[in-house]
Amino acid sequence: MRDRRVLKRRLGSAEAWRGTKAGMWAWLIQRLAALGLLAVIALHLHNPFVRPVQAAVLGLVLLHGLLGVRAILLDFGLPARAHRALFLLALLAALAGFVAFWRWRWY
Amino acid sequence: MVLRVLRWSPGSRERLQKYWVRARQGMTVLDALVEVQRGTDPTLAFRYACRVGMCGSCGMVINGRERWACRTLLSRLERGPVTVRPLYHFSLIRDLVVDMEPIKRKMLESKAVFVPRRPAEDDEGFAAVSGRSRERRAVDGAIECIGCGMCVSACTMVAHDPRFPGPAALNRVFTLQRDSRDGAHAERGEALLAEDVLTRCHTQANCTAVCPMQLSPTDSILALRRRALLQLVGFRPR
Repeated sequence: MRDRRVLKRRLGSAEAWRGTKAGMWAWLIQRLAALGLLAVIALHLHNPFVRPVQAAVLGLVLLHGLLGVRAILLDFGLPARAHRALFLLALLAALAGFVAFWRWRWY
Repeated sequence: MVLRVLRWSPGSRERLQKYWVRARQGMTVLDALVEVQRGTDPTLAFRYACRVGMCGSCGMVINGRERWACRTLLSRLERGPVTVRPLYHFSLIRDLVVDMEPIKRKMLESKAVFVPRRPAEDDEGFAAVSGRSRERRAVDGAIECIGCGMCVSACTMVAHDPRFPGPAALNRVFTLQRDSRDGAHAERGEALLAEDVLTRCHTQANCTAVCPMQLSPTDSILALRRRALLQLVGFRPR
């Protein structure tokens, strides 16, 4: 039987990340934000009055949620050619939302 | 310029071998590989046929991204050594040559094969679908697949779930599900609802980013998902 060797991208190799496109970054950032949320929500529940943790919860919720909205819009009919613009919009909206909410907070 | 080419043959470990090539104006990666094979190293194996960006047989991973070697100008790549690897997710045959068998197997497994609605003896010549029809326009961006395998190589989900049909097969399924001459819509529709099929695509759009024909398998998969959703809630998708 022939020697079977199948190559896959190696996460640890810089070359595998060369030319990584916007869609892949959008997916990765959303997943990493979800993992980050698991950690900071636990910290937030332990002590809700730590400012940096509050900021992290807010930032990660906005990032994860808005990238999720991007995925939903694509699922429900926006053409895939819009995905880069949606990614950029989600990042800008997350930044704007963070700044607005952080400035507005009443406590 | 320096070419770093993946070398492998059965029974050996893979390695990147360096070759020095004198870069000329208008030289492509395929030109450089041919020059190496004809001059420095006749044992270097790679596949190509048309050399003009039609057949897709020279699909390779060049500087980390799937591209066809015959249409990739050295001058358009980043400065520094050019790394050339075979496509990912296919069995290596030797060096840059891979076995394209998964393309065919995944097409068959996902029933991406035309099944005539009427038996052949009833046919009155070719059943034409007008280029202006809604049916035809719906698949416009999906029907020129040349089976080069670059989308399969770029798809991270193919790497993680061997049962996922992958972008090429699902793109073909999409065109068939919109084809009024095809008689296997219901059967294929059932198969699409399996756990490892449509839901495995995470809309990373890597397939669309690398397709040399500018097709969008991502759009095809998303369209199939919408049809599957309609089917699940009791509608009969058009």
